[in-house]
Amino acid sequence: MHPDSDLETLMALYQQGDFTAAAALIDRIGPRLHRFFTAQSASRADADDLLQDTWLRIHRVRHTWRPGEPALPWFYAIARHVRVDHYRKSMRTMAGARELEAVSASAASNPGDFTRTDDLDALLAPLSESQREVVAMLKVAGMSLEEVARATSSTVGAVKQKAHRAYEKLRKTTNAMGPRGGRSGLP
Amino acid sequence: MKDEEIDDVLTRAARSAHDPNPETLRRVADSIRPSLRPVRPLPPTWIIASGLLLVCSVVSMAGAAHAGFFGFEKMDLLERSLVFSVLAVLLWVSGAAFVHEMIPGRRRRLSAGALLALSSAVLLGVFAFLFRDYHVDHFVPVGLACLLTGLLYAVPAALLSWLLLWRGFALNPVSAGLAAGALGGLAGVAMLELHCPNFEAAHLLVWHTAVVPLSAALGALVAWILRFRRASGSR
Repeated sequence: MHPDSDLETLMALYQQGDFTAAAALIDRIGPRLHRFFTAQSASRADADDLLQDTWLRIHRVRHTWRPGEPALPWFYAIARHVRVDHYRKSMRTMAGARELEAVSASAASNPGDFTRTDDLDALLAPLSESQREVVAMLKVAGMSLEEVARATSSTVGAVKQKAHRAYEKLRKTTNAMGPRGGRSGLP
Repeated sequence: MKDEEIDDVLTRAARSAHDPNPETLRRVADSIRPSLRPVRPLPPTWIIASGLLLVCSVVSMAGAAHAGFFGFEKMDLLERSLVFSVLAVLLWVSGAAFVHEMIPGRRRRLSAGALLALSSAVLLGVFAFLFRDYHVDHFVPVGLACLLTGLLYAVPAALLSWLLLWRGFALNPVSAGLAAGALGGLAGVAMLELHCPNFEAAHLLVWHTAVVPLSAALGALVAWILRFRRASGSR
């Protein structure tokens, strides 16, 4: 019965100490969170680590989810903070900082890289961190504006504005690429 | 390119993104299994906020009982009712904001920074409206004594509030530290209003009100140091 139950039911069972429900949640939410991390420049190995850390934190604070509240924004709010913590940690080490600098420099110098690949990371490269996060939640995770607003401790209006600006930037980038977009199936 | 076309490209790219290895998911499940025990969800926000209000009231009353209720005795009925009802409302709102900082995925109504600005502005407004004695006697030494006394009671109130909710941090500890500090600061101001008989407007506007932002800054600083040390330790 667990695999078909909704997230909120599984979450309530998880709080009651049901391992089957916890495993079903991990199977359902794990891949979505993994895609959320990879959509934000994380390598596959980093996304694996982030996923592991996120679940440890989810497990530690599982009492903070209240029955009747939507579960998806709760998961993503934790995931985005784990990602931010990792980002801060990596920025503290000089090597990490240099690496990130190189990544962002290459993304900035060649924002149209997605025309050569379907890689989501390259596609979202021209966007700022917060725009990338909002687009990843809306389009990759398929969350509603209200859910994204909850997950990012923001308002629906602010999320709409960020998404609008992100689309404007993506539109400009894709238009600047012109017919080359056709190579990856871009219209 | 139209928005629908960008949607389509993003959806295709998302579908082509790699899923985690099933081994990774199994490892995650195994890692939580040994500590999987039933937990009780947090009670509704109004219950926790009321608990925090009670904690802060007890701390400020205890402080005033120790130092004397000179301020309360000197106030007239209007001053008493306005000052303490406003402080009670601010404490309750701050308590609710603090709870929201601890719960992931909550609809945000007031950020910790906005709460701090609102609390300080409301206190300034109430003090400016009620107290019109513009004399300034021993402004700095008397003021510093009040500021330190306020902070002395703000710290235990913030710590007790923090302990009440401390069962694991999911979100930004600095915001939570700021909210806890603001809450403690309001408890410190409540203690000063009960105790301090100095009703000079400048004294109240500067030194009493300053307890709230200073206590909030202290809370944020402590949380930032804790986060930094934890991050350094886990490297």
